[in-house]
Amino acid sequence: MILLRGVSKTFEGKRKVTALEGIDLSIAKGEMASLVGPSGSGKSTMLNLIGGLDRPTRGEVELDGQPLSKLSDDELTRVRRDKIGFIFQFFNLLPTLSCLENVSLPLHLRGWPRKKVEERARELLDTVKLGARVDHLPDELSGGERQRVAIARALSVYPPILLADEPTGNLDTQTGAEILNLIHDLHDRLGATVLVVTHDKTVAESCSRTIQLRDGRVFADTRREEVSR
Amino acid sequence: MILLRLISLPYARKHLLRCLLTTAGIVLGVGVFVGMRTANRSVLAAFNQTIDRIAGAAQLQVSAGEAGFDEDVLDQVRSLPEVRAAAPVIEATVATDKRNLLILGVDMLGDRSIRSYDLEGDDQAIDDPLIFLAQPDSLMVTKKFADERGLAVNSRLPMRTMQGDQVFTVRAIMKPGGLANAFGGDLAIMDIYAAQKMFGRGRKFDRIDIALGEGTVLEDATRKLQALLGSGFQVEPPSSRGQQFESTSRMYALASNITSVFALFIGMFIIYNTFAIAVTERRAEIGILRALGATRGQIRTLFLAESALAGLAGTSVGVLFGILMARAMAGYIGGLLTEVYGVAQSPGDLTLDPWLIGTAVAMGLVTSLVAAVIPARSAARVDPVKALQKGGYQSLGEGENRARRRWAMAFGVASVVAFVFSRFGIMTYVGFVLAILAAVLLSPAMSFRLARALRPLLAGLRPVEGALAADSLIQAPRRTSGTIAALMLSLALVISLGGLARASYDSLAEWMRIALNPDFFVTTAETLSSRSFVFPGSLADGLRAIDGVAEVQPVRSVRVMVKNALIMVIAGDIGNIAKRVHLPPVEGNSEEMYRLAAEEKGVVVSANFARLHDAHMGEVLEIPAPAGILRLPIVGVVDDFSDQQGTLLLNRGLFIRYWHDDSVNVFRVYVTPGADAAQVRQRILQAFGGQQRLFVLTNREVRDFITRLTDQWFGLTNVQTAVAVLVAILGIVNALTVSITDRRRELGVLQAVGGLRNQIRHTIWMEAIAIGIIGVALGLALGAVQLFYSIEIARRDLVGISITYAYPFQTALILIPVILGSALLAALGPAESAVRGSLIEALEYE
Amino acid sequence: MNKVFLLVALTAPLFAQDPRQIILEVQKRQHSDSQRYEGTLEVISQGNQVATKRWVYQRIGSFGNSKAILRFTAPAEVKGVGLLIVNHPDRASDQWMWRPAIGRDQRIALQDRSTRFFGTDFSFEDLEERDVDQYDYKLLADEGAMWKIESRPRKSSQYEYSYFWIKKDNYTFVKIEAYGKKGLVRTIDYKNYEQIKGIWTARVTEVYDVARKSRTILKYEKLEYNLPMKDDDFTLQALRRDL
Repeated sequence: MILLRGVSKTFEGKRKVTALEGIDLSIAKGEMASLVGPSGSGKSTMLNLIGGLDRPTRGEVELDGQPLSKLSDDELTRVRRDKIGFIFQFFNLLPTLSCLENVSLPLHLRGWPRKKVEERARELLDTVKLGARVDHLPDELSGGERQRVAIARALSVYPPILLADEPTGNLDTQTGAEILNLIHDLHDRLGATVLVVTHDKTVAESCSRTIQLRDGRVFADTRREEVSR
Repeated sequence: MILLRLISLPYARKHLLRCLLTTAGIVLGVGVFVGMRTANRSVLAAFNQTIDRIAGAAQLQVSAGEAGFDEDVLDQVRSLPEVRAAAPVIEATVATDKRNLLILGVDMLGDRSIRSYDLEGDDQAIDDPLIFLAQPDSLMVTKKFADERGLAVNSRLPMRTMQGDQVFTVRAIMKPGGLANAFGGDLAIMDIYAAQKMFGRGRKFDRIDIALGEGTVLEDATRKLQALLGSGFQVEPPSSRGQQFESTSRMYALASNITSVFALFIGMFIIYNTFAIAVTERRAEIGILRALGATRGQIRTLFLAESALAGLAGTSVGVLFGILMARAMAGYIGGLLTEVYGVAQSPGDLTLDPWLIGTAVAMGLVTSLVAAVIPARSAARVDPVKALQKGGYQSLGEGENRARRRWAMAFGVASVVAFVFSRFGIMTYVGFVLAILAAVLLSPAMSFRLARALRPLLAGLRPVEGALAADSLIQAPRRTSGTIAALMLSLALVISLGGLARASYDSLAEWMRIALNPDFFVTTAETLSSRSFVFPGSLADGLRAIDGVAEVQPVRSVRVMVKNALIMVIAGDIGNIAKRVHLPPVEGNSEEMYRLAAEEKGVVVSANFARLHDAHMGEVLEIPAPAGILRLPIVGVVDDFSDQQGTLLLNRGLFIRYWHDDSVNVFRVYVTPGADAAQVRQRILQAFGGQQRLFVLTNREVRDFITRLTDQWFGLTNVQTAVAVLVAILGIVNALTVSITDRRRELGVLQAVGGLRNQIRHTIWMEAIAIGIIGVALGLALGAVQLFYSIEIARRDLVGISITYAYPFQTALILIPVILGSALLAALGPAESAVRGSLIEALEYE
Repeated sequence: MNKVFLLVALTAPLFAQDPRQIILEVQKRQHSDSQRYEGTLEVISQGNQVATKRWVYQRIGSFGNSKAILRFTAPAEVKGVGLLIVNHPDRASDQWMWRPAIGRDQRIALQDRSTRFFGTDFSFEDLEERDVDQYDYKLLADEGAMWKIESRPRKSSQYEYSYFWIKKDNYTFVKIEAYGKKGLVRTIDYKNYEQIKGIWTARVTEVYDVARKSRTILKYEKLEYNLPMKDDDFTLQALRRDL
């Protein structure tokens, strides 16, 4: 479960910018929520805070009842690698590594034995239907394929929480739809909590809950029984 | 210019550290160049100045090498109507508590017609040559010397003379300026006849200084004097002494040139590296500029201007640094030359040559411009469309690689060809340069291959960190190839210098084992190189009479003008010496040559004399002596390291006859088998030590002294080594700093997907070590080639001594941990900055 | 200065108006077979510092062929240093110095004759006797009681010319001005004349060095003429014997 209590984030610079202000939010385990709002409304900031990439100025973020504020950087990294999978808009694959190596990366970082790492990575690439392209470099793949590699990497340890920042933002409609389906499919199969930041109405509406941000505050929080898939 | 201010300045400000590191190469290169040259030049200038000041109004000087000549030559010289004044001189250096003191023995009666003594105070009694002459303990010192030691008129100054310890009295103090500034002010004047006794010179002068009558043409007077005295004497203007010294210091000039060229060369790669990276990094910016209408030419000019500015800044700092360095080096070189050559000089002020500084600035600028040519061209080729695409990559300069490899092959082949023809002097140098160029051009390809070979190794060590580190090298050769080339060149330099030193030590040790086998050396000074004091030949009998002494071999060594250079003549009883010592023959039959030399039918020369002065077996050498020219055929060539310009070994009987000189520098003393060496030494000291200046050096002490002298020689190479390693480390720091900036996003992703800080650190450390390993591998390999050429150049043009090629594995073994350790050290800072940065920024970094 | 003025007394004929004759008369009146005196030298520097030296002087033979030995007696540092002067009528004298401390004699080279004589304002050249015929003379003025005569050396000298002032009544030098290429070099004044054994003798000579602005005053004590002396005492061997 993801819990935000009175979370604010301000950026100190030449001008003080308040990205989030007093957010209280809870996302239940296994829920699939979308986070929408105009540019600068604080979507990405919120995702980064939940993912432990950044720390709130005030307030507390709890994952499964564990408050993140008290953790050291390395403890935060551990939480991140055990509980969270990231999917980025620009994929953020390492260009020098093959698909297999990119997917293996988090597993290696956890110190898994080599053999097990490779088994799992192949399995994940099969899951995202890239089993045939394990040795390709990211440069040799299409946008959709790259995002699928990124998703496979995010899922490498079957994390309970999956955070996606504009997963379809850089893809054409057709490919976007495929990726969305993949995410839903994984959500259904793995029962992970999924939070998707998106501009795309179709993506937002495909989720059972849509949280709308505006000027750093929750503007609307809609749940729908019926989702358009 | 606007572009420079708007675009370059903010970038430079943002990457201040990198800018500093980049120019460091130029700073060091220019610094070494200016420093070494200025030091060298200052020493030379100081020497010339000393000569000039000591020469006073003398227009000509009469000498017989270093050997000295009988007093009656003075009357001969004075009999010539062209000679207005002739003043005899004895010159000697004495070790004092602080520095060496140059003692000038002059005839106080007439010396003022050559030299003027400006004395402190206006006391008639001080300025009274009668007291000075009447009291042989009289000494005139400079104000500087007196002040440093708290001396005043009538102060006492003890010195060890050939007649035992004596206390001298300061009778007068010279005001600063003129003569008193010679030898950096460490100068004392004494009566020449008192000096003869003090230094054991007998009734001999070293030199006669001559002032000519008005209207006399210098050439005429020279010709007449030469005709009068015979060709055993040199009749030259004082300045020609400086020229001789110049040729002996040539080695330093060449060695320092090689170092500075290397430092600049290495600096060039560091600059190339930084600019190559800057172009990759600023691709977007270049794209925007191009999109806004900047032409390719403007972009190219922008980068060239940047590099020119960096070069100028680096050069300016380098010149300052060089001047600082010169100050330290000048004393060092000066002391060394005094010790090795016994040439009296001591640099006071630095001589700054505007032309030299101009050259240095030009070198720095050209280096940085050349380094920036390729990156500037790549920058001009940036495709604005691709550059502006986020996340897009454009690989630049693929074709370059192939061209480079072709050139490398061409240079390689040419260098082999040059090697084949290396008999012809210059081709050695051509081959050397071509080999280096080939290596430099090949280094990117080699590093690529080595990095690939290292990848499984590193990945095996740490799957993620290792693989990433290796990939960073494989994928971005542009980022590191310059650094690796710089590292390679530095290490090659270190290996070649180290190898040269090692091999020299080995050859020297072998020579010392053969040539320096007496149990004791009875000398007039604590060191063997000082030739200021001499023993009377008669002391030999006294030494022989001592219980436990088996054999005494008197040896006289003195430099004499042969083939237009001051060559060391070693005169000993060849027959006796040959029974104990057989120097390894290079040409001729060992038994035969010693027999002929002992019969005074020939001279044995050292191999370095033969090489440096182009002398051959059978050639009749003309050796000028006061009694006329001694003509002797070369009957043998041996390996002898007594002197850097070479040595002539001839029988002492000949020397006594031709130089009217039976004095001795060193007695080689052999102890009777079974006698207690320490006791014999004690007996010698008891018998003679009290009465006269006499030192008994053990075999060990003499060898240690020579080793120490050699250490000092190679001390200079240590400076070069330090510079090379320093530049290399700067290069690694630079490459890593850049690499981290370049890979911020990658490192961010790594952290986002669960990489711990230590894992990030390890990646960077491993990359640094990988750079180190590749650099070391290439450097050690190139070093083998460079060592070969260094030995060739040393043999052919510098010392003339054959040195056996031996790869300095020891040095190499030390270098590996040093460089890898330095690489790791260099990685610490960049690694920390990588883990401390904001993750969010890193992920969004583009 | 080329003459005799320093150590020799002079005599001269009454009629002389020819400058050469006047000089000859001076020499004649000063004639003696030997001479001995103890001299005291005071060198007074520009800063009025005084250095004193003493010597004993002995001469044998008369003008042009004389030999003299001069030996320092004070100060202690220079005691025993001697100078042997062998004059020749036709050329510059031979001079040797003896230095007891290092036990060797040393010839004073011709080139060194213009240098100062051991810190005094005399030069070595000033110690020589030279023959009348080595100079050209010109009577410049008849100044009542004195003649002013110009003397130019025919051979090499540090001086270009000198002016002599000679008293008409007793043919003694009063003053000499010696000129070099750059003007006046030295002046010498002869004072305190006394008749000793019939010879008019200056008891004090004062030399002034123009460039250095220093004075040397030489006082003659225990001056005697025509003592019995041996030629053997005026050789290099004799010089080497200490007093």
